[in-house]
Amino acid sequence: MDKFSFKDVLVTFAGLLITSFIAWVLITATGNNPSEVALYLYEGGFKGTRNIANSLYQATPLILTAVATLISFRVGMFNIGINGSMYVGALYAGWAGYKFTTLGHFTHVTVCILIGMLVGAAWMLLPALLRVYAGVSEIISTIILNFVAVLFVSYMANGPFRADPIAPATPRILETAELKQIFPNSQFNTGFFIAVFVAILAHFILNKTTFGYELRSGGDGLVGMYPSRFSSYLGIPSDRSAIIGMLISGALGGLAGAIEVLGAVRYFFQELEFNQGFDGILIGILGKLEPIGSIIASLFYGAIKNGGFYVDYKTDVSREIIIVLISILIFFVSAQKIVKGLEKYPFIKKMDNFFSRKKM
Amino acid sequence: MSKDTAIHLKNITKEYPGVVANKNVDFQVNKGEIHALVGENGAGKSTLMKILYGIEQPDEGEILINGEVKVINKVETAINLGIGMVHQEFTLVPSFTAPENIGLGQEPKNSQGLIDWKGLNKLVVDIAEKYGFKVDPGLKMIDASVGVQQRTEILKTLYRNANILILDEPTAVLTPQETDELFTVIRTLVDEGKTVIFITHKLREVMEIADRVTVMRAGEVQGVSETKNTSIAELASQMVGREVFLQVKKDEAKPEEEILNVEDLWVHDARGLLAVKGVSLNIRKGEIVGIAGVEGNGQSELVEALTGLRKTSQGTINYLGENIASSTPKNIRRKKIAHIPEDRTNTGLNTQLSIWENLIGNSYFRKPLSTNGIFNLKKIAQHSNKLKDDFDIRAPNISLKVKSLSGGNQQKVVVARELSEDPILTIASQPTRGVDIGNIEAIHEQLVQMRDEGGAVLLVSAELDEVMAVADRVAVMYEGQIVKWVNPKEVDQAQMGLYMAGVKD
Repeated sequence: MDKFSFKDVLVTFAGLLITSFIAWVLITATGNNPSEVALYLYEGGFKGTRNIANSLYQATPLILTAVATLISFRVGMFNIGINGSMYVGALYAGWAGYKFTTLGHFTHVTVCILIGMLVGAAWMLLPALLRVYAGVSEIISTIILNFVAVLFVSYMANGPFRADPIAPATPRILETAELKQIFPNSQFNTGFFIAVFVAILAHFILNKTTFGYELRSGGDGLVGMYPSRFSSYLGIPSDRSAIIGMLISGALGGLAGAIEVLGAVRYFFQELEFNQGFDGILIGILGKLEPIGSIIASLFYGAIKNGGFYVDYKTDVSREIIIVLISILIFFVSAQKIVKGLEKYPFIKKMDNFFSRKKM
Repeated sequence: MSKDTAIHLKNITKEYPGVVANKNVDFQVNKGEIHALVGENGAGKSTLMKILYGIEQPDEGEILINGEVKVINKVETAINLGIGMVHQEFTLVPSFTAPENIGLGQEPKNSQGLIDWKGLNKLVVDIAEKYGFKVDPGLKMIDASVGVQQRTEILKTLYRNANILILDEPTAVLTPQETDELFTVIRTLVDEGKTVIFITHKLREVMEIADRVTVMRAGEVQGVSETKNTSIAELASQMVGREVFLQVKKDEAKPEEEILNVEDLWVHDARGLLAVKGVSLNIRKGEIVGIAGVEGNGQSELVEALTGLRKTSQGTINYLGENIASSTPKNIRRKKIAHIPEDRTNTGLNTQLSIWENLIGNSYFRKPLSTNGIFNLKKIAQHSNKLKDDFDIRAPNISLKVKSLSGGNQQKVVVARELSEDPILTIASQPTRGVDIGNIEAIHEQLVQMRDEGGAVLLVSAELDEVMAVADRVAVMYEGQIVKWVNPKEVDQAQMGLYMAGVKD
């Protein structure tokens, strides 16, 4: 994979600068005070225990969906159905959360999480098999399955799993199934540590094990290039890698959903809305398809997201504008070619050479 | 020949992270000459031409076209200055005909503002006739031979009024006959007042076609000479910086017991047509068996069948007494059969991965490189650095992506990996394609060394010289069959040419 370079730092700062300017224009145009908005954005993202905890809470599912994205990309598959896995994972983790009544706390949480992951993985089995054995583009099948997931969970919450006669929702999960919330007035929960642990584990597996090597031997940057001639030539079954990669990707989507229900919402209801599966694609790419990069990008994104909520709460600037600004920022940060012109300056080149030097 | 300078690249320096691709390069081409630019892979030829064609910008230096300083910062500028380039990899739309490809982007319009197809066809045929080559305006490129595609590329530049043509390794993909035809075309172009820059590693072709030659090595110009005043040996030593043996030095083979015995093998190609029709051959320990033939006569399918990448339809492949027909690549590899594939970039390598990740493709699972599925990165680095040194892979470090290496160095990564695990049988398919002379020599030596150390080698190559020089016994393939077995010492090139064209005795 491309490693981070000095250029990336430059691009990020250039992106921040340009976005700040556009933000200033937009906010002024809507009759607000830009410096006030900037202040609240900062405070909402970073100031005080509660805001920081909320920023980390926002980052939690993003870390998982970003890693889910990058794993599928790095086996050469283009999985954009992680949001669907997240929905079904959340639904079934919630179901397990009230269904198993006799388990101890640790066991119950573990069972709920494993069920969420299992269902999330199962959700990706069909597109993976269709791709490998029938040549159906996983892009198409996973997009379709996203819609199916929304309708499916809504049916389940309305029908078989419905508990409340008024609202279409499942029963609340038992206390034994809860991921603990650590700070008062914040939905931040221990799921965050699970997410970070999973990302670090993914980093280890991808880069330091034969299993990870086999998975990515056919892909790694060649997104959507499955099946790779290289891995089958080496005797590594690329079909197996593609299927396993998709299942892991789906399992992590399911885990993101499970953590949302077990740690924050505590039950599944029809109106529960996820979009972190899509944000994860952006963040995974921003993080250069590296798990550690994804953690950093998720923390940043989570902070801005939470800052956006705070701005919405404190000022007349609507959250939509903040979302527009986040999108613009990502747009510029991913615009690598902006700094290509800078390469001709010796200083930039020297810095870049320096930072891209590695030991091995 | 006029002595006016068409192109003068003056003191060009271009640096990439970690590599200086061009160092104070001075390159001068006279009007109306055929100027060969030779050098090993990674010597900086391509970078220099990219700078001339506006794809890359030099860090230092200037470009003079017809004596005037020009800044060429995009390809359009180069085209407007009358420079045309035919890349090694063609840039044609396969489903378009020759005129459609040639006119693309600059179609003549009729009075209604629509594309004037008739006018375009006529224009293309006229240009083609002027330079003495035929074009079939109705033939789609997907159905055209490589030679026809290449001529279409040349026509494309002429259609855009190119006066200076850059041909990047134009003969790499051609059969000997097509090469002759190309040379006729090049001579006609020069007679009509064009200037041709001819990039190649094949020194014999330089001597045959070029007026002058510039040799590059490691980013610097080593010498400029008129071909009539130089020799292949002199150019070769300039290229690699030392004396080169153009013949492969090897002793008589001492074959021992049989390693591989293929009997009556039939294989279908990707389209389901029969590609290999009843091939039988055997390879013994301590010998190199060569397969010669014009490409596309079933050699690729034969190799794929032997290496498990393609199912066989009929017949047996006995390897050390066991039938491995239609086995998997994994099983075949575990039996110590190495495979240098003809397609380097998609099959032999994952160019997105680093050098070390490509080098351990056949050994990552064994101790000490990994234990219980976990890499020992230190041992891997030792192993990879050793291969890098042993096989002279030129790269600043082994963490670099393979895609940033030159073609020859990429091939050395493949060869290093495949020969590293003590194979019993080595199947090498076009092992020196797109590789420069110094590295060709090295790869040939390595194959001979494999043989001398008791390995069996199957060498499949479209380069007749290569098969004849390296192999101990040669089979000629034609239309899926072996038409002739020859002893390379007892047969001449002309005779081989006839066998390759399917003429039996």
